Amino acid sequence: MTTTEPALHPLRYLKQSPAVRERFDALKKRPVVLSVRNLYKTFPTPGGSVTALRDVSFDVYRREFMCVIGPSGCGKSTLIRILAGLEDASDGEVLLDGNPVSGPGPDRGMVFQSYTLFPWLTVKQNVMFGPRMAGKRGATVESEARQWIELVGLSRFENSYPHQLSGGMKQRVAIARALANRPRILLMDEPFGALDAQTRCQMQSYLLQIWKNLDITILFITHDLDESAFLADRILVLKANPGEVNEIIEVPVPRPRSSDQFITSEFVATKHRIDQLIHPESQSKSDEIPFPRMTVEGDDVE
Amino acid sequence: METGEGGKKPAGEPWFAVRRELSPQRATLLTVFSFALPLLVWCAFSYLPFLWHPDVRLEISADRENVTTVYVAGDRVSREFFPEFQEAVRAGNREIEGGLVSFDPEVDPPNGSSVRRANKKVLRHLAPVLVANGWLTEEQTKDDGAIYDAWRDIATGARIPDSPDLDDENLAIVSKNWSAMSRVSPTYDSDRFISVPLLSLVPQGRSSNPDYLPAPHEVVVTGFRDFTAPAEAERPSMWERVGHSVRIVFGGFALAMLVGVPLGVLCGTYPVFSKLLEPFTDFFRYMPAPTFSTLLVAIFLANDAPKIALVFVGTIFQLVLVVANTTRGLDLPLLEAAQTLGAKQRQLLTSVVIPGILPNLYNDLRILLGWAWTWLVIAELVGVKSGLTEFIETQGRWRNFDSVYPVIILIGMIGFFTDQVLAVLRRFLFPWTSEAAAKANPIIRAIFFLPNLLRRAAADRLPYEAPRTRQAEKA
Repeated sequence: MTTTEPALHPLRYLKQSPAVRERFDALKKRPVVLSVRNLYKTFPTPGGSVTALRDVSFDVYRREFMCVIGPSGCGKSTLIRILAGLEDASDGEVLLDGNPVSGPGPDRGMVFQSYTLFPWLTVKQNVMFGPRMAGKRGATVESEARQWIELVGLSRFENSYPHQLSGGMKQRVAIARALANRPRILLMDEPFGALDAQTRCQMQSYLLQIWKNLDITILFITHDLDESAFLADRILVLKANPGEVNEIIEVPVPRPRSSDQFITSEFVATKHRIDQLIHPESQSKSDEIPFPRMTVEGDDVE
Repeated sequence: METGEGGKKPAGEPWFAVRRELSPQRATLLTVFSFALPLLVWCAFSYLPFLWHPDVRLEISADRENVTTVYVAGDRVSREFFPEFQEAVRAGNREIEGGLVSFDPEVDPPNGSSVRRANKKVLRHLAPVLVANGWLTEEQTKDDGAIYDAWRDIATGARIPDSPDLDDENLAIVSKNWSAMSRVSPTYDSDRFISVPLLSLVPQGRSSNPDYLPAPHEVVVTGFRDFTAPAEAERPSMWERVGHSVRIVFGGFALAMLVGVPLGVLCGTYPVFSKLLEPFTDFFRYMPAPTFSTLLVAIFLANDAPKIALVFVGTIFQLVLVVANTTRGLDLPLLEAAQTLGAKQRQLLTSVVIPGILPNLYNDLRILLGWAWTWLVIAELVGVKSGLTEFIETQGRWRNFDSVYPVIILIGMIGFFTDQVLAVLRRFLFPWTSEAAAKANPIIRAIFFLPNLLRRAAADRLPYEAPRTRQAEKA
């Protein structure tokens, strides 16, 4: 199913239907929420400094869903941590609504790959954490928290502790907790990476629904080709060593998305293109391993 | 693999399987055994003479001629020496015997008064047997009149001692002595007392362990006696001593906690404090706390202050380092998540670090409380000896180890049960930890093991009731 059609034109992913083109035109007319300008990041190591990110620039428009993908070591986690303010850039700047940002803040919500719910707080208290840090108290905070929990479908568990929840449920609470701060942009660092395949599919649909119904911009890091092509408006593909912008792909798959679209030519072409960018042919050949035959004759399985 | 009814493991489940959980029944049974086994070993060594019993505990002692070493009843002599001891006394008796039979009560020999003195000793050698049989009280062991009457009663067979009894050899000696004594006077009269040497009782005893290993029943009896004895002027009661010791341990520990926990949390949170305080703390903890005892007395003078200070010094340095490490063990992503949710530096400390480490901090403090207990004895030796340690010291010096053991065991039990109570409390204090959902504490289960067993046995005896109860439990 996932094998690419040999007849597929290498630039097929650039073809957009009129409806899709219209969407992208409208999207690019919206104001820029997050603007990354000439971002550099170098780490000092005993063997000299290592450049993790080099001259990374891109814009994220309001209500856009952007995915960041790249081979391992391309610095995509470093990038999102800089955007969240958890690490400082060596050079360049990050603008949120046109204003430079430094340090972490509630205007950029973040969902981590590891489960970061506070284990000593119930689901509801976790969701109320952000407002409480902002000094908000009282019944409105609580009723709002309930609404966020309802949004991620966990009303029955509002008084449960995190250790009583499954992995998927924990990440749903983490999303609700980040949204409760009403951030300008939601940063997601491989949030479904630790989940099993089925739960991950469910979570992707959930996320698209939440994104559709809320005024929220999402920057989503992943290493999963299907995930990026399924979720994103545009995909930022990074190169490794050092991390540089390789290409920003406009996903030609129309919305609303569903799993039925996985076999459409737009979807396959997009994935094929990402695959080409991440795994150049020269590299994949050198990776081939000789496979000795270690079985007796007569028990062929193919 | 769980098969069979109600999750019960099949009978063929192996006892020895690498890292495989035992069934709850087996786990409880083994917990019971872990306490029962040491007790059984102790009982075996105490009550089975062939296992060890290197000594003989004297029930009757005697003096030997020209030997200054004196044993009294209750002393222990080695099993090799005991026959030699008896033989020496018998040899002395053989020399005396001729004169005793042929003496004339009306003629006082020239050295009469010194012989009388020796004879009184012989008379009194029977006293421990009389006390043990309940014929005399502890205070009457020098009441020669009562002892004299007892000699008569035993010689005439009016009364027969049974615990301990007298062997035939000593019974014969009693009647020989009595026939000579009665010829002088039928009742005790210090002026009219036999003046030729009496036969000495031959040492008699039972095989026993050395005094440092008293039998369980002796420990229980002595412990009961000690702990029910009322307080005297210069002697506090045992429970007052317990209270005093507990105050010292908990006082020192509470102070260490009060100072050490905030310091440890600061060290674990801010590298500034960590780099400033931890290196020196790490160095200081290698200096043994007891080496500071004289210094502490000089600073804090008498009474409990230097003792509490010793527990404090012995605990706080470990405490700071352990708490700092626990604080550093807090998941870093939690702090990062809190920051992306808008938490400021102060809020990180109060809303994330402190609540986040509480369950582990609680466990650390449990372990460190146990650590503080180990300083008890040394602390109570500082300055004027006090509390349980003073009792252990005094009794141990008198070799009353049956008094020492109950105190040692009690200290262990206080520490152990404090910890168990704290462990149970943890489940209620920190309901968010996954341990809170774990099964009941194995020690608690072990305590209810016997009652449960009896109840189940009783339930099984009602054949028509039993199936219904089981169904009700399932529902």
